[in-house]
Amino acid sequence: MMKTIAATLSLQNIRFQHLVWTLLTMTLFVLANLAQAAANLEIDTPAITALKSSMQARHAQLLPHYNSGAVGLTANGLIEVRDTTAVPLKDRGGINSLVSAENTDRNALYKEIAKANGHPEWEGEVRQTFAGRWIDKAQGGWYYRSGSDWAKK
Amino acid sequence: MCNFFRNAVFALLAIYGGQAHAISSIRISVGQVSAPAGEIRNAAFQVDLKGESPSLKLNAELKPANEPQFMPFDLRCGTFWNPRIGVLECLNGMFSAKRIKVPLSAHFGIFPDDFSANIDFKQAGFSDEPGLHAGEKLTGSIRVAAKKQKDLWHWGGLFNWTEGELFWQPFYFGKAGNLFAISGTSQGPHVNIGQAILQVSDVGTMTASAQIDTQSKKAESVKVIARDVDFAGLYQLLLKPMVEKSAFGNLQVSGKADWQFEMKDMQPLNFELNLRDADIEELNGKFAFSNINAHIPWDYNEPQTLTLGYNSGYLLNLPLGTTQLQAEINRYSLTAPVLRLPILDGALKFEDVSAAYLGQKWYWHLQMQLEPITMNEFSQALGWPEMQGKIDGQVPMITYANGLLNMDGTMNFNAFKGNVGMSGLRIEDPLGTVPKLYANLHMRNIDLGDLTRTFNFGAIEGKLEGNVTDLRLENWKPVYMNAKIQTMDGNHLKKVSQRAVENITALGGEGTAAALQRTFLRFFKEFNYEKIGLSCELRQDICKMGGVESTPNGFIIVKGKGIPSVNVNGYTEYVSWADLLERMKRITETNSKMIVK
Repeated sequence: MMKTIAATLSLQNIRFQHLVWTLLTMTLFVLANLAQAAANLEIDTPAITALKSSMQARHAQLLPHYNSGAVGLTANGLIEVRDTTAVPLKDRGGINSLVSAENTDRNALYKEIAKANGHPEWEGEVRQTFAGRWIDKAQGGWYYRSGSDWAKK
Repeated sequence: MCNFFRNAVFALLAIYGGQAHAISSIRISVGQVSAPAGEIRNAAFQVDLKGESPSLKLNAELKPANEPQFMPFDLRCGTFWNPRIGVLECLNGMFSAKRIKVPLSAHFGIFPDDFSANIDFKQAGFSDEPGLHAGEKLTGSIRVAAKKQKDLWHWGGLFNWTEGELFWQPFYFGKAGNLFAISGTSQGPHVNIGQAILQVSDVGTMTASAQIDTQSKKAESVKVIARDVDFAGLYQLLLKPMVEKSAFGNLQVSGKADWQFEMKDMQPLNFELNLRDADIEELNGKFAFSNINAHIPWDYNEPQTLTLGYNSGYLLNLPLGTTQLQAEINRYSLTAPVLRLPILDGALKFEDVSAAYLGQKWYWHLQMQLEPITMNEFSQALGWPEMQGKIDGQVPMITYANGLLNMDGTMNFNAFKGNVGMSGLRIEDPLGTVPKLYANLHMRNIDLGDLTRTFNFGAIEGKLEGNVTDLRLENWKPVYMNAKIQTMDGNHLKKVSQRAVENITALGGEGTAAALQRTFLRFFKEFNYEKIGLSCELRQDICKMGGVESTPNGFIIVKGKGIPSVNVNGYTEYVSWADLLERMKRITETNSKMIVK
């Protein structure tokens, strides 16, 4: 009888230890995620406002190219010319500089958001989060990078 | 091989011409044909004689000289016949290949030392693989003729289109009504283009001449001349694609221009741009100039003198008056002892200007002097409150390299009978999306009477001094600074009006209180003070406020002295910068009376 109780206690002890470890690991995991989630992506500074309004002004020019599949979204939060032949002839000469100007703004935006959060080293995470957001918010028919291929939304 | 090709065609014409009625179809296969212009292989001709009129089917693979791969193509002629020996006609034809579809009718004359082709095309479309050379819905004609005299081929060509659009990286011809005429001679690999005329709708006429080595595929020399062309068209067609990524990539222009360009051995040799009565406006509002007359020459070997004048304009909101500039251009550098830009009744004078364009980037340095400008007009032009007095100043040295503008020494401006100095000025990317400015400011002996009247703040008599250290602006808005302004000690008059006290109190925000016995002091129009001061440590949007002294609960903004005197204390230490600006705006704009708590 005593042996059985001892065995049960010992078993409970092991279970308890396991539970403590699980809780500890989960807490650490949650804390780590909380730290990540602490990045305020909606933070506003004059630099971020200027970049967002520059990008907003350019969006009207880019929209027909997203719709036609000429320009697609990349996995690192930028855009890329996917098919030059889908660009109307009159816009074809300017498409590369349009995409390049947008990417300059996007790179600067990720950097500024990380900096405004007081963590310049978060730039990579901010970029990845935005990359996911851009693709989530993309309209049907737009293209985005899926691995090395293009996928249509 | 080229001769073989010609002989084969002649053989075909001879068979077809002589025995057309004896056979129902003719088939000829050719393995490979090479010519300087390219190669053809696996060619299969089939002339069908069964219908009402003979028709042609031609399948082959073509490789133009500048393409890496063979491209299969298909030519069909609804009517294919030769009215006489050496003459071929292809009517209701269609030339098709990958990304090419050209409905056409063509007339060829093929003789041993004489060749001609007249091709009319309708609604034709073509594109290369990356889409960098493409045409859509083109309707027009090509005329080509060549004649051999001794060892020299004399040839000429005419290409015009009346409908459709053409993109030839980086140039776009959007409007139809363009014509390209070319003539010259060829001997061996040397092609001499005696004259090429490009007549572009809405631009004007450009002429060019060139010598080309077809073996090395290099242009030995090229000369392009455009006289009295439309500047808007010239900018859209030729200049914009070349300056797309610079500050000049988004302009609206008008006026007349002459343009000349010469290259030798693929290197630019000289260049000249003359502008007459031209207007330029940057579409993001960064600069504009009207009525420009300019002579902008450039020569690889000889220094040239640039002259440029305009009647009016603006640069980053600064209104510019009638200006005449002159500078020397020596290969990739520009120097000028003085460039004077009149601004209202004064001028911005650049001295010892030196600029260089290296590795596709600009580097420059200059000294700057601001000749006195009346603040009244200057402040109005910038949409600021109307200011009195004059502003003038000096900048010892400004350098610009890698998108970074740096100022050495201190820039001094005189305003409100005092002096404002700026040191450590650095601007990153001044014409970019997010310009960033770093500077330190100090002000001394600012007349508070002038200043408060200007900003409609309520009268304060005295003198003001202040320091703003580590000022950082992003997109011209402050995001960081340690600022402190205060009245100066001395024997001068120190009076503050009741309205100014009320406004200072309002500026201090909620919790700020004027510790005065309102009951009787409110009857006084003005008070004596010992010191007035405010400080702000700005971090992003939050300002940590302070005054001339600290108290256990806050800080003193106005420290009174004598009779009648008044104290104003602040209690809110942390204030949003946007709120502070809003309060400032409310006070100076609406002139509303604030309640003294």
